Amino acid sequence: MASLFLELWQAYLWPLILIILKIVAIVVPLLVAVAYLTYAERKVIAAMQMRKGPNVVGPFGLLQPIADGFKLFLKETILPTASNKVVYLIAPMLTFFLALVAWAVIPFDEGIVLADINVGVLYLFAISSLGVYGIIMAGWASNSKYAFLGGLRSAAQMVSYEVSIGFVLISILLTVGSLNLSDVVMAQKKMWFILPHLPLFFIFLISGLAETNRSPFDLPEAEAELVAGYNVEYSAMPFALFFLGEYANMILMSAMTSILFLGGWLPPFNLAMLAWIPGPIWFALKIAFVLFIFLWVRATFPRYRYDQLMRLGWKVFLPFSLAWLVITAGVLQFTGLVPK
Amino acid sequence: MIIQGLVFYLFAALAIAGGVLVISAKNPVHSVLWLIVVFFNAAGLFLLQGAEFLAMVLVVVYVGAVAVLFLFVVMMLDINFVQLRQGFLHYLPSGALVGIVLLVELAVVLVGWAVSGEAPKSLAAPAPELAKMTNTEALGHILYTQYLYLFQASGVVLLIAMIGSILLTLRHRPGTRHQNISRQVDRHPKDTLEIRKVPSGGGI
Amino acid sequence: MSLAMSDLTLALPELFLAGAAMLLLMLGVFRKEDSARVVLVLALLVLTVTLVLAYGVTPKTGRATSFGGLFLVDDFTRFAKVLVLVATAFTLAISRTWMEKEEIARFEYPVLVLFATLGMLMMISANDLMALYLGLETQSLALYVMAAYHRDNARSTESGLKYFVLGALASGLLLYGASLVYGFVGATNFETIAKALASHHAPQGLIIGLAFLVAGLAFKVAAVPFHMWTPDVYEGAPTPVTAFFAIGPKIAAFALLVRVLTGPFGPMVEAWQQLVVFLAAASMIVGAFAAIGQTNIKRLMAYSSIGHAGYALVGLAVGNREGISGLLLYLAIYLAMNLGTFGIILAMRVKGRAVEGISDLAGLARTSPMMALMLAVFMFSMAGIPPLAGFFGKLYVFLAAVNAGHIILALIGVLSSAVAAYYYLRIVKVMYFDEPAEALDRPIGPTLAVVLAGSLVFIVFFFLVPSPLVGGAEHAASVLFH
Repeated sequence: MASLFLELWQAYLWPLILIILKIVAIVVPLLVAVAYLTYAERKVIAAMQMRKGPNVVGPFGLLQPIADGFKLFLKETILPTASNKVVYLIAPMLTFFLALVAWAVIPFDEGIVLADINVGVLYLFAISSLGVYGIIMAGWASNSKYAFLGGLRSAAQMVSYEVSIGFVLISILLTVGSLNLSDVVMAQKKMWFILPHLPLFFIFLISGLAETNRSPFDLPEAEAELVAGYNVEYSAMPFALFFLGEYANMILMSAMTSILFLGGWLPPFNLAMLAWIPGPIWFALKIAFVLFIFLWVRATFPRYRYDQLMRLGWKVFLPFSLAWLVITAGVLQFTGLVPK
Repeated sequence: MIIQGLVFYLFAALAIAGGVLVISAKNPVHSVLWLIVVFFNAAGLFLLQGAEFLAMVLVVVYVGAVAVLFLFVVMMLDINFVQLRQGFLHYLPSGALVGIVLLVELAVVLVGWAVSGEAPKSLAAPAPELAKMTNTEALGHILYTQYLYLFQASGVVLLIAMIGSILLTLRHRPGTRHQNISRQVDRHPKDTLEIRKVPSGGGI
Repeated sequence: MSLAMSDLTLALPELFLAGAAMLLLMLGVFRKEDSARVVLVLALLVLTVTLVLAYGVTPKTGRATSFGGLFLVDDFTRFAKVLVLVATAFTLAISRTWMEKEEIARFEYPVLVLFATLGMLMMISANDLMALYLGLETQSLALYVMAAYHRDNARSTESGLKYFVLGALASGLLLYGASLVYGFVGATNFETIAKALASHHAPQGLIIGLAFLVAGLAFKVAAVPFHMWTPDVYEGAPTPVTAFFAIGPKIAAFALLVRVLTGPFGPMVEAWQQLVVFLAAASMIVGAFAAIGQTNIKRLMAYSSIGHAGYALVGLAVGNREGISGLLLYLAIYLAMNLGTFGIILAMRVKGRAVEGISDLAGLARTSPMMALMLAVFMFSMAGIPPLAGFFGKLYVFLAAVNAGHIILALIGVLSSAVAAYYYLRIVKVMYFDEPAEALDRPIGPTLAVVLAGSLVFIVFFFLVPSPLVGGAEHAASVLFH
């Protein structure tokens, strides 16, 4: 009996506990990062607009995100009578859940990754392509025309930009020769991919903005015309879940950008002096840099019109990324740089 | 091993339950959502078989693109479902008959297959050794060499589908105004603006 | 396994056709004003070049495969491809005037015709169940779109939708059959299947698979009981599209059916022969009787094509060299007869409006005697009156059937052609003895006139020099039974 229990413990329970611990170790810092990203956003935009931003709750307003969180937590969850209740409640959970599960394959340093799967890039792509469901379900289930319009806009927008993201990914994969994210980072030891694939970096960054429904592509929640779009009917915790999911997705996109183009956890220039700083720190710095670009863009650019958004996606990015894919393949073939 | 078996039955049961709910759900949006559940479980079954590439592609293509567009269309439709349901009962007997015939045939075939013993012998071995390469590589390998012709032909089929949908639906409306960005950017103040000195009290 | 140059050379006609079709598509998209006419003329040129290539590509050993055994070229495929390309080129050529007069001429039409032709060539050259399916889908998808081509016309869109739904069902049957065959034999390659079946007894399940496969293909040749789509689609589709449907795709589907049944399933001849005998007999009977009540000439032609499919299937039901060569000859003659008849139907316009009632032909002998004479000849030939070509087509298949002991099948054929003669001759009667309706518009245009004259000469004088075509058909059939 005891031996059976020991076996069970060794074979199943202990690994399970280990995995749960790892998940906690990823999720908790992530949630803290999300909280402080909202703070950073308000501070950065305030600075760009020569305001002060939050500065009342705690020193420099540092406790503001926690206060906001408590406020949302304590408020009443309102279910609109005409809504489709189950779908209405699943939508925010799905958004939040998807924003978290994607982190399973993100490598923080050599060997530090929850699931080092062979098709990591595809996994990330798959998860990010599912993000649209949270929004479209919320838009539909709310039974409100503004929410519905927001949901439709977002569905068309995310599907359109996924196409160019896909082609960007394929170009990168060709240069790496593997779908494993750790391999992608290791392939950038000599040179970060931002140098040979500079145009792709911009396409990916801009598509990332569209994919996360961030300004200047935030049409699904355009306040002026849709009074906040798909989440107009949400309040309290469901709203907070949407909010958390959106910001977690931003961080995820930044992490993907860092891994694909900025060398992930690798220090710049491969110097011994810089290598002394641990990989996760470099990774966090890069993510912070990309996030700063996200915020910077929001403070700077006006919103796109919907036809302009579609035009950019289908008529500019798609042909360009396709042509770049062909060029990449040709260059690799003729210079003999094809990975193994 | 036991866990794997359990997970297989879990996925399979969920997939079948989802499939039943797809056709029995009252609300077509729910049908599409159940369809997504089916796709996910199918992807899970692929994963169990070690076909991680197929699993991911199934999610990316079917859940991430096809089902989104389904949902998109279904949400916009304004159909009277009560009316639609009436036909369902009407066609149920003949539909069920066809289904049963196919099922019986499939069963006959499966029994015959298990008994004959000839088929497994003549089954060709899978082309690349799975131990040597990941299944992404293996698929790429076979698609671009042995099945190149089929791969290209599928491309032609898709191209025709694209031509067809554009031909049948695209209409050029006269009188709509399009944005021409390069023309906008090319415009200079001197082409359109004229600065005149207006004499006070004179007007132009 | 790497791709050798010889692989590409064998598929040269297909590669050229595919590349040219894509180029023409681009040309049509970027050219503004007269894209429809330019693309059509260029498409005809492309078809001609493809024809030359298809005729010219001959493997040294008489038979060669490429792309890892998926693609086959021999004298049978060569014969069928030449027939298909001739049919496509002529039907495309005579479509122009009609499309322009109806103001639906668009550059996509010739491009779709080219892609459909590509699909037909791929079907003919298929040497694997997967290649078969993809060729069939390439062709069918283009055809569905072409049926709905006149998108502002409710009948055209309806016919496109019907064709699409039923065609998808047929594809489903075909795939179900193909997967059963794969499950039992463990291979999709035709040669491997033939070897496996020759070496040991075929299991029961394989026969089910074969039946589904035949059902799917019978849908494509519009054989009874898989013919339901034909009248509606033929009637609803724009007339040039109907003309196209009636000839090229049918020939390609027959070539495919012959290849599948005599090639991989050659050893199972007893199993499929009964099926084909049934299909042939049912098609001949339904084609003959259902056409009698028709008043729309396109619908009539649909039933006529069902009947002709039945006669051609008699050749396949015989299942030997003589039968297949009769079938090929029948298809060649069928091509000429249908081309001529549809040429006349395309010329049926009254005051600039297309008409398609049989009554609109009344008194044609007095208003335009030349056209009436030509249509009469085509109708006599369809009915099988000697010494016109149509008679010889029937003669060869029925002779083959009698020689192989299928007396009853031949008898059904003769009787049903006697019934069919009634409705063919009714048209002649309407033209020559009824009070004249409004006169048809003249002139009919030079292209149409040339094609009509060509078909007429072929049909009337075929009996003088039958040997090139008969010899070609016999040779093509002989390579199937090596």
